[in-house]
Amino acid sequence: MQRKFIQIAGIIWTLVYAGFIVWLYATEPRSFKEVATNTQVAAGIYEINQERFNNGLALFSRDQFRAARDEWAGADPAQRDPRTQFYIAYACYREGWGRVYDDDALFKQGLEAVNRAISLAPNGTLMVEDPNLQMNTAAELKTELEQGTETSWNDLNPLKLFRKRK
Amino acid sequence: MKNYAERNRALIHFIVLPTILLTVGLLGGLRIDAQTGKFIFIAPPLVTLVLAILLGSLFVRAGAIDLHHWLAIDQPTLTNLAHLLTLIALFFASAQAFNSVLPESGLLHWMFAFFFLWTLWTNQFSAFDARRLLKSLIVLFGTAFVLKHLLVSGLYAPAGGWFKRIAAALLQGIAIDVPAFAPVTGYVSFFALVLYVVGLLLIAPVPMRPPASAVNKLAAREDALAHESLDETSE
Repeated sequence: MQRKFIQIAGIIWTLVYAGFIVWLYATEPRSFKEVATNTQVAAGIYEINQERFNNGLALFSRDQFRAARDEWAGADPAQRDPRTQFYIAYACYREGWGRVYDDDALFKQGLEAVNRAISLAPNGTLMVEDPNLQMNTAAELKTELEQGTETSWNDLNPLKLFRKRK
Repeated sequence: MKNYAERNRALIHFIVLPTILLTVGLLGGLRIDAQTGKFIFIAPPLVTLVLAILLGSLFVRAGAIDLHHWLAIDQPTLTNLAHLLTLIALFFASAQAFNSVLPESGLLHWMFAFFFLWTLWTNQFSAFDARRLLKSLIVLFGTAFVLKHLLVSGLYAPAGGWFKRIAAALLQGIAIDVPAFAPVTGYVSFFALVLYVVGLLLIAPVPMRPPASAVNKLAAREDALAHESLDETSE
């Protein structure tokens, strides 16, 4: 009886431990802190740090986009919150936007963030109610970022100089 | 007293052994980035899986694992399942042990892989017993560990010494692409290999069988008696 109990315990333990190892290799955490964060995500108890998110918003409203992105990255270390990812993408857009030309690297970074936001949003649709933003959906922001990274004849249009940042 | 021994044997066989092998599986692919100190998990490359199959075949040929006793039709399903999981854990532990001592990329990766393949392939046709196989594996992994974590990593250390200068002179013009990892990676690899050897020491060629029940013992005794009486009548 005792042997059977040890066998069952061994089988369960082996499966759980093997599952944990596979999960580690699949999620590839970079530190023990990330292991903890990924565990929270897997357990469904992950929440962003609201205080840092609000700090990011305050910095964003003062046009300190890089600092805002750092705060939001700290607020959502697992990159699992669609709203935070949307704001990170928006900060990339605003910082990278230029009257003559856009910063391709920042726009690409923004595109990655907005794609993450769309994939995390329920039904792939994300709308952020914020009166300070001129684009309130992830789809609009994505289009704007994509257009910024594309090269076309339209780039030579002199009227482009009169466009406004959203 | 006997109960304790049986219980401890069962604990080692069904819990400690798979834990050790899975820990090798976990640590074998773990590297620490030299710049940032962050974890890098490297899944076992395809060649390490081939090497693990060859090594598994060696275990069976050398009698280190008697498959007929590990997986048998007359054993309880639970026992077979536990043994199957242990064998799968052994397979992945072997793959990760190779992964741990194999350079990650470049010319050295393929050179090491080739030498491992060559050694394991030629060993398939040698006469081995379990003890000699274990000694041979310790030498094989020990040599690869020294080459990778002491010599090759020394070559690419920022403050390389005389060996770096000699190698740079010898290998002038040959690009050997080896990623730089923190020295702690060597310790992790060493620990993984020690655990792997401990795991191999704990594997019994014939696993412990469940103690025969009173009914089984009676049936066996009856069989023996019947054979004895048959023998007497034939004489």
